[in-house]
Amino acid sequence: MTSIQEHKQKHKIETPNEKQNRHKAMEAIKVLNTLKEGFKEPPKAMSYFYDLFEEVYCHQKALHTDKVKVGTMCIQIPSEIIYALDGVPIRLCNGFYTDDEIGSDLLPQKACPLVKASVGHLSSKNLTDKPDMIYSPTTCDQKTKAGTLISSFGYDVVDVDFPRTKESEISREFFRRSIRDFSVDLSHKMGRKLTKKNLRASISKIGYAQSLYHRLSEFRKSKIVPILGNDMFIVTNAFFFDKLDNWIEATEKLVQELEQRVKENLHVAGKVSPRIVYTGSPPIFPNYKIPLIIEDSDAIIVADETCSSNRMFNDRVAVDEWFVNDMIDSLADKYLKACTCPVFSKNDDRIRRIIELVRSHNADGVIYQAFAGCTVYELEQRSVLEAMEKEGISILYIESDYSPSQHGQLSTRVEAFVESLKIKNRNRK
Amino acid sequence: MKSKLKRIINNMNLARVRFSIQLISFALFVYGGYFAIYLGSKLPIFACPYNGKSAGACFLIPLQHQLSMPAQILLGGAGIAVIFGILTFLFWFIFLNKAWCGYVCPFGTFQDWLTYLRKSIGIRYSTYTQHQFEKLSKIKYILLAIVVLVPLLIGVGALGGEWGAAFCQICPARIISPTFSGDFSQWTIDFSTKTSMVLTAIGMVFAGLFLIGSFVKKRFFCFFCPMSALHYIFSKFSFVQLRKDGSKCTRCGDCYAVCDMQIKDIADDVVSTEILRDDCILCLKCVAACPEDDALHFDIFKLKAFSSTKEGFEKRMGIAKPKGDAHDKHTRA
Ligand code: SF4
Ligand code: SF4
Ligand code: SF4
Ligand code: SF4
Repeated sequence: MTSIQEHKQKHKIETPNEKQNRHKAMEAIKVLNTLKEGFKEPPKAMSYFYDLFEEVYCHQKALHTDKVKVGTMCIQIPSEIIYALDGVPIRLCNGFYTDDEIGSDLLPQKACPLVKASVGHLSSKNLTDKPDMIYSPTTCDQKTKAGTLISSFGYDVVDVDFPRTKESEISREFFRRSIRDFSVDLSHKMGRKLTKKNLRASISKIGYAQSLYHRLSEFRKSKIVPILGNDMFIVTNAFFFDKLDNWIEATEKLVQELEQRVKENLHVAGKVSPRIVYTGSPPIFPNYKIPLIIEDSDAIIVADETCSSNRMFNDRVAVDEWFVNDMIDSLADKYLKACTCPVFSKNDDRIRRIIELVRSHNADGVIYQAFAGCTVYELEQRSVLEAMEKEGISILYIESDYSPSQHGQLSTRVEAFVESLKIKNRNRK
Repeated sequence: MKSKLKRIINNMNLARVRFSIQLISFALFVYGGYFAIYLGSKLPIFACPYNGKSAGACFLIPLQHQLSMPAQILLGGAGIAVIFGILTFLFWFIFLNKAWCGYVCPFGTFQDWLTYLRKSIGIRYSTYTQHQFEKLSKIKYILLAIVVLVPLLIGVGALGGEWGAAFCQICPARIISPTFSGDFSQWTIDFSTKTSMVLTAIGMVFAGLFLIGSFVKKRFFCFFCPMSALHYIFSKFSFVQLRKDGSKCTRCGDCYAVCDMQIKDIADDVVSTEILRDDCILCLKCVAACPEDDALHFDIFKLKAFSSTKEGFEKRMGIAKPKGDAHDKHTRA
């Protein structure tokens, strides 16, 4: 007894939440330091993003204390509608191993680490910007189920029906209805109406944010690549939770700086570094395991096809007559029809997107990562590999998870692939 | 220099450009007669000669007249005249392809104006379901068959003279077009024969339907127009084409969302290069609304005259840097 009391006096016993925070801070800072110091000259404008992640994940800073926070479980919930109703969308997809471990007690051992981490994080109730409500599109099996599990922790979770095939006319109608219901529900909860004016302004604002992303992508098409793929992931990841105006301002600065860098011929990789298109399960901070290995192995990621990056920004909304329902319909179409998520019955659009990215970015190869347990990406591995083979595009498939182990084995495989691409390039010359 | 010009074109405000061209064409084909302009009677548009002031005439009327000549005459020398008529029609047609509909036809333009009217009142447009669309889109071919077959039947004596220009009798343009130059005389039912009575009564109903339909549905009539069907038969021969590069298309559906004719292929077909469909009016709204560089393009011969671009898309959709906290002000209001 006494010895325990003594112990208590000396060290304040760490609560589970404190421990979780400490572990997460360690994970976060490790990645941030690698990005800041492990590579050749990150752009100065990147420090905004590094600091943001440090404040949020190492010092638990809340960003949206004065706003209603609307949690989303996948990208198919139109953030345009949330902003129009004066809420803040918070994407709850999570990349922490610490949270993955907490979630492991709640889900099957073989479940996807991303789902486990998201569930684990929410079950701990230890969130800096805690969502006031959560919308959960019924995308993959695990996310669909996770929604219900999360509601059992006491969150207000609303399922948003999402079709699993997208070619049919029924699916279009279905998702349009679904998004209409979503807007009615949200508008009811927020106590304000969607109007022509607020929705149009919001579409235009998100459109502008997207156009900044497109400009960043444009830089990566040329021979002189002024930014690392990992830094791009940081920028797009910040879009999950940052204040939109701040994000826009910081990204504008980054665009300007990159323009300057291009003029100065500043290439962030080596002269012969192979150019990679990254696809598969999304890298979400701080799980940049594979992207970091790739860019550590003297390759550079010039484009990606993932839902934590490209897929959030790529597609935009056009409307003929700017009535509220037309805007909603067009939003629904964009979030469904252009989506390249592998949950759909057919994976053709995703394959076409990857090939297009390889061609437009002059990539030398594709690296496809799937999380062990992320069934849909594992399933589609075959179709993508086959298609790439047909197109004569080199591709490497790797499975990984959130654990810090297996690093050595993964780097060996990536390095060998990068080496083979270099040899191929040399022989071509 | 060339790339600069290209950029200007690709960034243009298509809606405004098109509105101006339509306005001028409308004036020409409704009031051109006042200035003694006449471009002949083989035009591939509904510039209806029942309006005496048009600067040219719809090809369907001479076509029906010629085809209704007695069979012996038609098979003799007069056949040449028919062929010559079709060639003249083709001559006009190949310059613009279906853009005659999207930019020149006064009857098409009039429908667009009814659309502006509806829009300004704040009423949302209606659409067909996919099922209705597939069924209804065949009607224009049935009407084209009436244009061609009824006169032939007159020619062989199977039908009487009162069936002459049968399609014109039911055509809503016959009734509505003269109205623009102050002539209301077509708003009647012709009681001279039973056939005329029925046909002109149908015409009145169609004219009424036209006005209501075009108010609620964009380009309501064009969807049923036999001229559009006739266009489609020759559309491959035109210098100008609508083309698509499927590899650049994301199937986002933006083009489909703005298409007045609800053409689904424009978004969903990623295989065909030639993407002009029978209902298309070549208005190019889809090209203007596509956010992918060069996914859709309007070609003159093989030259991309107007292409979809990211930049043009952003300009036209009003995607701009938000001013201050304009957004917040909106939502707080
Ligand atoms: S389809 Fe429309 S625009 Fe074309 S000729 Fe017919 S009425 Fe005119
Ligand atoms: S009535 Fe109709 S078909 Fe006949 S000439 Fe006039 S527009 Fe053409
Ligand atoms: S707007 Fe362009 S990218 Fe989108 S579906 Fe149409 S053609 Fe494809
Ligand atoms: S497909 Fe394009 S050009 Fe044709 S009618 Fe539709 S929007 Fe106009």
